[in-house]
Amino acid sequence: MRSALAYTPRPGALQSASPGAAVAYLGSFVVVSFLFTNPLVLAAAGAGLVLAGLIAGAGGALRVALWMGVGLALPIAAINALLVDRGETVLVRLGHWPLFGQVDITLEAIVYGAVMALLVAVTIVAAAIYSSCVNPDRVLRSLRPLAGRSALTATLVSRLFPVAAADAARLRDAARLRGPGAAEVGIAPLSRRLLAGSLDRAVDVAATLELRGYGLDPRRLRRRRETSRFDRRFYCVAALVLAAGIAARVLGGNGFHTYPTVELTLGPETVALAVLLVLSGLAPLRRRPRRVRRRSSSALAPALEAPHV
Amino acid sequence: MSELAIRRGAAPALAVEGLGYAYPHADRAALADVSLEVAPGEFALLAGRSASGKSTLLKAACGLVPHFHGGEIEGRVAVAGVDAIEAGPGELAAVVGYVAQDPETQVVSTTVAAEIELPLELRGDAPPDRARAVEEVALALAIPHLLGRTVDTLSGGELQRVALAAALVTRPRLVLLDEPTSQLDPVAGDELIWLLRRLNEEWGVAVLLAEHRLERCLAAADRVVAMAAGAVSFDGTPGEFLAWARAADPALTTPAARLFSLAGISPLPVGVRAARRTLEAFELAPSAPPEPPPTTVPHPGKGEGSRFRPPAAAALSAVAVWVELERDEQPHDVLRGLDLAVGRGECVALMGRNGAGKSTLLRAAAGLVDTVAGKLEVPSGLSLLTQNPSDYLVRERVGDELPGEQGMAALRVVGLEHAVDADPRDLSGGERQRLALAIALAGRIDGGELPGLVALDEPTRGMDRARKDDLVDLVTDLAGRGAGVVVATHDVEFAAAFAARVVLLGDGVVIADGPAAEILSGGWYFATEVARVLDLPGIVSPEQGAAALNGEFVTHGATNSPLEEPP
Repeated sequence: MRSALAYTPRPGALQSASPGAAVAYLGSFVVVSFLFTNPLVLAAAGAGLVLAGLIAGAGGALRVALWMGVGLALPIAAINALLVDRGETVLVRLGHWPLFGQVDITLEAIVYGAVMALLVAVTIVAAAIYSSCVNPDRVLRSLRPLAGRSALTATLVSRLFPVAAADAARLRDAARLRGPGAAEVGIAPLSRRLLAGSLDRAVDVAATLELRGYGLDPRRLRRRRETSRFDRRFYCVAALVLAAGIAARVLGGNGFHTYPTVELTLGPETVALAVLLVLSGLAPLRRRPRRVRRRSSSALAPALEAPHV
Repeated sequence: MSELAIRRGAAPALAVEGLGYAYPHADRAALADVSLEVAPGEFALLAGRSASGKSTLLKAACGLVPHFHGGEIEGRVAVAGVDAIEAGPGELAAVVGYVAQDPETQVVSTTVAAEIELPLELRGDAPPDRARAVEEVALALAIPHLLGRTVDTLSGGELQRVALAAALVTRPRLVLLDEPTSQLDPVAGDELIWLLRRLNEEWGVAVLLAEHRLERCLAAADRVVAMAAGAVSFDGTPGEFLAWARAADPALTTPAARLFSLAGISPLPVGVRAARRTLEAFELAPSAPPEPPPTTVPHPGKGEGSRFRPPAAAALSAVAVWVELERDEQPHDVLRGLDLAVGRGECVALMGRNGAGKSTLLRAAAGLVDTVAGKLEVPSGLSLLTQNPSDYLVRERVGDELPGEQGMAALRVVGLEHAVDADPRDLSGGERQRLALAIALAGRIDGGELPGLVALDEPTRGMDRARKDDLVDLVTDLAGRGAGVVVATHDVEFAAAFAARVVLLGDGVVIADGPAAEILSGGWYFATEVARVLDLPGIVSPEQGAAALNGEFVTHGATNSPLEEPP
């Protein structure tokens, strides 16, 4: 079965954009998220990305990313709450634990863990939209003249990943189909078999790459300038988001501290940045083609449009 | 040699002289003193049993041997005047294209357009030239609608066409194909062969095609080269090849040739049209059986004039079964209210084009996919062997895969009890398949009684006829022991050999169900070569056809008798 994170060609603005423009646009959300710990800014960045993903038709990828984000966020928040005893608002005293020492759960540690988890989730969502909407062939084509060997490795990996995933699914099926009298197949023999199979597959794919001419002199490569009419829009939005983020940071717009007590200040620059981040999520919008109403001036038009009897 | 000279066809498309080759650490040579020449614009067929050296010869012609695989090589290989042993596969890509058996590993890009464009990009063609070449090859192969799709959404046939497009986009002088139809249904396989013939005629590209199912492509070929034990054993026209194969290696002959041979008619036909023309020329008309052949197969689920009813002792019972799978991010009904019943001891071939629902039905019966509606039962158990037997083999000793008495009982059923201490990798392809089946059977054999249903999914991929005959024996034996045997297959000749009943699926429902002789003689694609030649109801095998021709054919004033003494 196809992964929801796999690239799917769609006629969206983000899919049409050059890889550089798409990376700049999605990357600007991630960079601003790393500049701030203010939950409002992080939530706005996440909302902007979700909006962008939905407009780009990457709903399936967003679902997977959000599940992954939650899966990572909860342990991060829990571990931070257990390991960090800073903060003045103690919610629970869990006593003395071996290796951990005195364990106190504080409100501040929980909030800090949640903010870190939000940052991780924003990054995962951006990566999922990239994976679903940016054509890897175009990325590799851009990379090839600059770093031939890296592009070769990336090509091999990008092809082997779905092939290995399909192999793993087949091996799992075969393991389920073994008779009850056959030796049981644990994870270790199955993994060994998958690894051995992957090596064979890698040899086959490498042979195909060789036949396609990957071994030829990379200086032969002639770059194709792949631009799109949406590139300028994405570059402009990325520049605006980055500039606003840096400006807000310089103006002290973070306004959030967790230790020793949680302090959240929502200044106008923070709110403005949050609004800008959410609105930036509309950048992949593509104007629908206008329907042209045909108004015929011919006197015969009504007759032509009349149903034939 | 200049590009112009190459384009004008000054050099042979392929010239091989005294070629010998051994893979690294191999006990014996894969090729020994091979010499042959393929002329520009020629369509040559490479025939031979498994491990006869066909694939290795193709790999030598495209430079993978020795550049990619290593090993020791001697002799000379030149493609359109370019020394293949000196030049690497990349340099050769301008003059030779190569399409291998497994389409999965022949694509390296994410989208179809990028895949086809890649060879041109890597050799430094300008972007406008690349765009035009991609467009033209896509039009030639009738795949322009696929250009915007990702490769992981394509069917096997579509993927094979994309691989062919990537091989042809550089306008090579020679294209090499290694069993390209082995994973395709009869429709897609025939389309691919005739597409090759059209490209061969219109573009002048020489074709060297290795194939086991010769009946599929012999009529399209100008010439046949047969290989045995790494050497060329025959080189001549298709007609001469059939005459040679009849005496030297009958397993290489086609069903139509066997039909004529058994009936004592010559010349042996290279295809259906040639066979019909011979029969017409000599005014030979096989008489039709007086009545349609009686249905000897019990139809447990299809009483005359009655609604579908599952039998009392069914090995498989499917009543109004629906299965939904995801395709292109959309739910898709693969089985749509399918009704089917298979009794114990029956030999059933499950046929239909790719995507008709054959594998899904078997997987649903085995519990690998869920049904969304209907009732699907295998009351007395099921052992399923999927398409790739190697998936079942995870240990390095047969006895470790199948320990204890239950394991030994399963090995005895498939005739591999002597191989307990062998490494599965050292077994032949057929033995590996038997071992995988034993693994699926182990523990499901109750006092010598097999599970109610034994199912095999596409077991003949890449098999030569000798191995298929062994598989027919095995399947017949399993049915003889009381198991209902269902084999999903595209191979009509194999189905005619083993099956008593054929169930034809189309778009998730049963569209034909009846005795094999009836179903396989009543169509065009899902009909044996003999059935297509004679067009007689119930006549599907060379033996049946020869009986009809020999015993009962009517001659109308034939002046030049084609009859000869059978060999």
